[in-house]
Amino acid sequence: MKPARLLLWLVLAIPAALMLRGLSSGETLAMDLLHPSGEMAVRLMVLALLPGPLAEVFGRSRFLCSWLAVRRNFGVAAFAYAALHLAFYAIDMRLFSAMLEELALPAIWTGWLALALMIPPAAISFDAAMRRLRRRWQQVQYLVYAALAAALVHWLLLDWEWRSALVHFLPLAIAWGLRALHRRNRKGKAA
Amino acid sequence: MKAFRALLALGVLALTASPALADGNVRCNAGPTAAWKPLSEVRKRAWQEGWTVVKAQIEGDCFEVYARTETGQAVEAFFHPVTLQKLLVKRRGSEVYRAPGFTG
Repeated sequence: MKPARLLLWLVLAIPAALMLRGLSSGETLAMDLLHPSGEMAVRLMVLALLPGPLAEVFGRSRFLCSWLAVRRNFGVAAFAYAALHLAFYAIDMRLFSAMLEELALPAIWTGWLALALMIPPAAISFDAAMRRLRRRWQQVQYLVYAALAAALVHWLLLDWEWRSALVHFLPLAIAWGLRALHRRNRKGKAA
Repeated sequence: MKAFRALLALGVLALTASPALADGNVRCNAGPTAAWKPLSEVRKRAWQEGWTVVKAQIEGDCFEVYARTETGQAVEAFFHPVTLQKLLVKRRGSEVYRAPGFTG
């Protein structure tokens, strides 16, 4: 692993390390780690999805090129935080039967769905899979959009607090909006 | 480039902002804190419901209790800090109980 990438992963691991330290020392309850771990997963998903539309609109600046080069790492880290989120949930619920019992609640199954949708893109996030799958690889990565939508619904149903969710999703919505405008303008010029 | 910087600033702001929890929106109309019962009383009140308390705290002007019911369901309940009346119970964001006449 390159030193820069190693450094990135160390930085990405800091919040998880702090969460685990709080849990193991008994200072923090598992239920109190549900929000921060879920939020980290969403933030990292947003970081993985943002550079694509931004590069299309603003061109491939050095900064955006570097961001594009590491976005897969953000995606994999998002999955890791989502898995950690599930682990905290399991610790909090204590019993598997209790987890199963509330699986049918919309606020819960949307979370499971978001995690399940993240599994295929995360599982093929390495160079060899990218080379072998080619176009298919890109198609599998689109599942992240569905995962993000499911995560948004999961968040809204649990919290009923649209402002915090909106704050996280707004940058992406703006970037997608700008990209749509950019594509329309380009099409208009070409015609 | 200006638009890009503004967008970047917005993104950073969005990703570092700390979200407010909706639970803070529940209003118990509890009045001055001098008249409030100690938090330990609400733990006892929840125990009387047959619940196992995971956490009890003050949220806005309510006592908020996170607990497991006798059947193991995870619930979040709001109690009046003076009367200790059970006002609202939520299960994973869905309301499962509301005291008659409570609108907070």
